[in-house]
Amino acid sequence: MPTKASLGDLEQAIMDVLWADEAGTGLTVREVSDRLTGRDLAYTTVMTVLSRLEVKGVTTRERDGRAWRYRPASTRESLTAQAMRSPLHDLSSADRQAAILHFLSEASADDLDAVRTAMADVEAKGDRPRRRRGRGAADSTG
Amino acid sequence: MIAALLLLCAAALLTAPHVLVRIERLRRSPRAALFVWQALSSSAVLCLLTAAPIAWLRPRPLPSVPEALVLVVATIASIGVLARLLINGHNVGRRIRAARDEHRQLVDLVGRHEGAHTRVLPSERLSAYCVPGAGSRLVITEAALTALPGDQLAAVVAHEEAHLRERHDLVLEFFTVLHTATPRPLRTDAALREVALLVEVLADRAAREDVGEVALGRAIVSLSEAAARTDLTPGVSAGTGAAATRIRLLVADDPAPWQTLVLYVICAAALVVPPTLVTVVVR
Repeated sequence: MPTKASLGDLEQAIMDVLWADEAGTGLTVREVSDRLTGRDLAYTTVMTVLSRLEVKGVTTRERDGRAWRYRPASTRESLTAQAMRSPLHDLSSADRQAAILHFLSEASADDLDAVRTAMADVEAKGDRPRRRRGRGAADSTG
Repeated sequence: MIAALLLLCAAALLTAPHVLVRIERLRRSPRAALFVWQALSSSAVLCLLTAAPIAWLRPRPLPSVPEALVLVVATIASIGVLARLLINGHNVGRRIRAARDEHRQLVDLVGRHEGAHTRVLPSERLSAYCVPGAGSRLVITEAALTALPGDQLAAVVAHEEAHLRERHDLVLEFFTVLHTATPRPLRTDAALREVALLVEVLADRAAREDVGEVALGRAIVSLSEAAARTDLTPGVSAGTGAAATRIRLLVADDPAPWQTLVLYVICAAALVVPPTLVTVVVR
């Protein structure tokens, strides 16, 4: 019974296998299956996920005799770079800040002085004792 | 003329954002302040939406010239506001959700899965954020995971979890819709920035409860330093200077009880006064 989360896990594991393929000639469904260590998956499951990934545009495939060979459409680095940019690229700044909530969305070198001055004050004052509720007693004494 | 009165109320309320962004002490009670923002904006919208129906509700056989003028203005205002809100509400919601979906798929593929909704991106930039909504994700980079000490990491995670738990994205979406629906000359970017800052302060409050002022402050410093080094992040959100403001607010005095009380009274007043005025005039 694949749940939604486990499908995501599987897609990720399969992409890992494809990215790890140094030869760059692409892998067949069988080869991907064999390299998915620790998972006992039906051939058809792997095939389904691979074609899903191809539909999404993250893998490409080409014929090799009777089998398809799958390759990642882009490197993990470039996809990561895209993730670090997106979904920022085609949204207005107003939309952007509602779409994704950053811990800290911007700081320039000019801000740093003010940041450090403010932090010096926090360090001087220290934690207020009434905080830290909700954590284990061992945690706060340890 | 009740409709004229409602239009005046709306006009008065439209100046509220310009006033609110100037009162910095509101940031010490972020929750109450956000309620005030929401109450004042909702009230303005309600005044504008009801102006036309009320103007048309009491038709006299022959309206005088000023009455006819109000009728025209009220009609334009109500229909305009309704149309802009519906269109922008739809568009903003669609764009935001599409962007989140696309992004979620991306981080699910490239990120290391840590539990059901945490993803670790193999990036060398220090960054942490959450993708809210259905199927929410907490995203942190490998660099942040290695560079941040345990307590700062806990602070970052507590901050993002608070965003997700309290659905801060809905607050931001509400104001984004209002902002984009407001005609350009009337709206102010500072208002949206202030609301974004209040939301951050709110999440900081929650994280502060968990990890304390020092750890959270240090986490903000660490990520500011990283952001200043790369300086790639486009100008978004709470704005420049937000980091220092957030750190200062960590140890700012708690607001006086009366301040919070006054804010909630303002909320109630914003929603009660216009209808009351209308009823009084009707008599």
